[in-house]
Amino acid sequence: MIGRRTGQVVLMLAGLLAWAVQFTIIYGATSTLCGLDRADATLLGIGNVQAVVLATTLAAFLAAAGALAWLLWAQKRTSDQAAPADRFMTQAGALIGGFSLIAILWQGLPALILPACA
Amino acid sequence: MNVSERPGSFAPQEPDLPNPLPRPAGEFEALERAWKAPRGLSFITAVNNTYVGLWYVGTAFLFFILAGILALIMRAQLAAPESDLVGHDLYNQLFTMHGTVMMFLFAVPAVEAASVYLLPNMQAARDLPFPRLSAYAFWAYFVGGLVFFGTIFFGLSPNGGWFMYPPLTGSKYSPAENADWWLLGIGFIEISAIAGAIEIIVGVMKTRAVGMSLDKLPVYSWAMLVFAVMIVIGFPAIILGTLLLEMERAFDWPFFIAERGGDPLLWQHLFWFFGHPEVYIIFLPATGMVSMIVPAMAQTPLVGYRLIVLALIATGFLSFGLWVHHMFATGLPKMSLSFFSAASTAVSVPSGIQVFAWIATIASGRMKLTTPSLFIIGFLFIFTLGGLTGVMVAMAPFDWQAHDSYFVVAHLHYVLIGGMVFPLFAAFYYWVPVASKRPLSERLGRWVFGLMFLGVNVTFLPMHVTGLIGMPRRVYTYPVGMGWDALNLVSTVGAFMIAAGVAVFLVDLARNFRFAGEDNAGNIWNASTLEWLPNGNYNTRSIPSVVSRDPLWDQPNLSKHVEDGRYYLPGTATGGREALVTSPFDATPQYILQVPGPGWQPVLAAVFTAAFFLLLTVKFVLTSVVCGVIAVGCVIWWLWETDPGPVRPPADIGGGIVVPVYVTGPMNHSWWAMIVLMVVCGMVFTCLIFSYLFLWLVNPGAWPPQGIEPPERLWPLVSAALYIASAALIVVASRILRGDDRRSPRAVPILIAVALLLVSGASAADLWAQWRTGLSPSAHAYGAAVYAIVSLQIFFVLTTLVMGLYTIARWLAGRLDSIRRTTFDNTMLFWSYTVGQGLVGLAVVHGFPRLIGGP
Repeated sequence: MIGRRTGQVVLMLAGLLAWAVQFTIIYGATSTLCGLDRADATLLGIGNVQAVVLATTLAAFLAAAGALAWLLWAQKRTSDQAAPADRFMTQAGALIGGFSLIAILWQGLPALILPACA
Repeated sequence: MNVSERPGSFAPQEPDLPNPLPRPAGEFEALERAWKAPRGLSFITAVNNTYVGLWYVGTAFLFFILAGILALIMRAQLAAPESDLVGHDLYNQLFTMHGTVMMFLFAVPAVEAASVYLLPNMQAARDLPFPRLSAYAFWAYFVGGLVFFGTIFFGLSPNGGWFMYPPLTGSKYSPAENADWWLLGIGFIEISAIAGAIEIIVGVMKTRAVGMSLDKLPVYSWAMLVFAVMIVIGFPAIILGTLLLEMERAFDWPFFIAERGGDPLLWQHLFWFFGHPEVYIIFLPATGMVSMIVPAMAQTPLVGYRLIVLALIATGFLSFGLWVHHMFATGLPKMSLSFFSAASTAVSVPSGIQVFAWIATIASGRMKLTTPSLFIIGFLFIFTLGGLTGVMVAMAPFDWQAHDSYFVVAHLHYVLIGGMVFPLFAAFYYWVPVASKRPLSERLGRWVFGLMFLGVNVTFLPMHVTGLIGMPRRVYTYPVGMGWDALNLVSTVGAFMIAAGVAVFLVDLARNFRFAGEDNAGNIWNASTLEWLPNGNYNTRSIPSVVSRDPLWDQPNLSKHVEDGRYYLPGTATGGREALVTSPFDATPQYILQVPGPGWQPVLAAVFTAAFFLLLTVKFVLTSVVCGVIAVGCVIWWLWETDPGPVRPPADIGGGIVVPVYVTGPMNHSWWAMIVLMVVCGMVFTCLIFSYLFLWLVNPGAWPPQGIEPPERLWPLVSAALYIASAALIVVASRILRGDDRRSPRAVPILIAVALLLVSGASAADLWAQWRTGLSPSAHAYGAAVYAIVSLQIFFVLTTLVMGLYTIARWLAGRLDSIRRTTFDNTMLFWSYTVGQGLVGLAVVHGFPRLIGGP
């Protein structure tokens, strides 16, 4: 009972949770790499910091998109017998997921524009 | 558990009435008797949410007026250049107190207070789940807040700005006690905010009308839920920050002193990680109020319910990614800054969604231009303007130009006054008929609105220009000829217009507000939500079952049936105060919560809590500690009456639904409260670990500094083993304390006692290990950080000690057995948290220096 509900809440908030994890990682990594003067190194020709930010952004985007797809698919399967609260959480989760996809891309954008530690 | 499982879906028609007429004789009288508030001197021990809520709102409003008067004095000083009305030192105290009191003593308490009054009524619960906790939060705030404000009359007020940046507020540059008043004086506010947040989370999740599933929850409840979660995540940062700064001032532990490895920027991070979410903590409840008022004024359901819920939740998340935009001018890497720029612009999108949803609601109905409507329109106008300047200062390059100028003052007053004060006044005019025999006057209300709306714009619109042409913030005067004279005079005139508006409001209150028991003015707006049901001290006669978001519109006979007692739990099953606890998602009845009644314990506990902090400020350490011990004693006395056990067999609440009057485990309300408290503690600890890592980044080559050896590996391993063993004993005790017959084996208290010894030994071993190496807490930030982690753990172990001994005392008194075990469960939860925190702390303190290649 508790397990199912917890899963529902996590799924409903998945997009924003992905954004939160992304934000923590990109900010933490940038500060740490700049603080330790290790930002000049490159990964596959891209700066260290940029590489971390872009990889994290991509991972967060895929995680949020995956959760959203799962949510919509699950809704299709059970929509006719779902309780109102369950249906509501699916719909709210879909809106949150859609919003988060944009927010996650927007959050990673600076890496394409700015120098890492200047 | 024999709770009848009902399907989650209700057909959208009037539900069957669970209880027949006529109601048995004496049922209603018993209900009234149970909820009666005390009279005479004991009146202040009342815990009914309607009483505490009103006192709370009134006190918050008092602080609004007091802090407003401070602002008027400042505006009078700035009305003309080179004025000498108040000197620079008093001026520093004035702006510090104005900001601090408005934020900590007015804004957060005001929205919390409003929810103490409104939430139970809106959800048709009899009361909040922990009424005494609300009373405690209120009294601590009332006593502490008034004394704190009193410092302004003695020149003792904090004078380092409401954000208290070190090094200015460190002991080197602020040796006097002014800063301590802020650091300790804010302590009880933090406690009362967290108490309120726990109350609100459990209240929203567990005490609702039957059938009020998540999709039918009033938007205000959603807003308060997000608000409370944000307090739980955000406030710990400021709690930790004030702790660290106070330890630096009192014991010279250099967290923020650069010469000894500290960093003043750490304070800014901790402060703004709380401080930016703080403004959304203030704003979201106000939007929740607006979402309730707009549909009533437009006489049409709210448009975009799901989008508004999305907006509330998204704002809650994104607001935690903004804090560095207060630190754009501190020289952080530009890439880091731009992450916060991105989040700062993104957070305006959810607010925009809400604004358009309200406009759409107004457009789809017919809005009557009542006083609440006027304040809503004023809110939309002023808040949106403030939001636009907010997007401007979210851009780092623009912010570097506007930083620390009056432009920022204009922006923050537009969003805070527009986003919170105007909705609050709308709420006053809208909800007073629930609490008073007469509604407030529409005629005076228009004057209040007109004066305030014009006043705010006259005061703050010119300030944008004043700032752009260079006037810095927080200066007590300025020379002639800078071009700022006329603008400042206009702003001062505007400030007094706002004051005139507030004065008219006070006249309106004095003339028309008459406290109502069961004879309130009633649903004069034809609103659709449950707080407009006929009510008394017991809130509603019976607990309704709802089938939509607008029950009063969709269930035309609801008021009558509720008042006749045709719905659930029309009397009292146990003879005392009760609330019906419903499941968090579908809102099906789960059990009857026995709610504690009035008592002196929360009042006394609150007074002594406030005394503890306030006396600590003026260095009366011994008296302060005595007060602290008395406060803990009062809390224990208060708790002793809780956890009543199953005082009677399960009760029939109507419609054939039979629910128990006592449950334990994850369904129990106090279990939920404990989980929330653990999240708060976890956040405090997380912020401390962040501080440790942050200080490492400041001293990358010296962590630990030269000549400091961390303790041998054996010590942390011994400590960890003792922690784990103590937790294991508690788990064994829990196993023994199981079963359906009410047994309470002697092994339980013995196991708890042994576990207490182990857990104390674990933290003592760790402290001893650090001490042996000669590590000093005041020589370098490394030592300060290590000892901070160790000290926090010792505090938690001491708390565990008190809880463990209390649990043993419950067993000795015969109040703990295999059924009546909530006390034990709560202790077990807290224990597991303490052990977890201890293990993580050991891993960081002993593992991290080795990980980064230290000795």
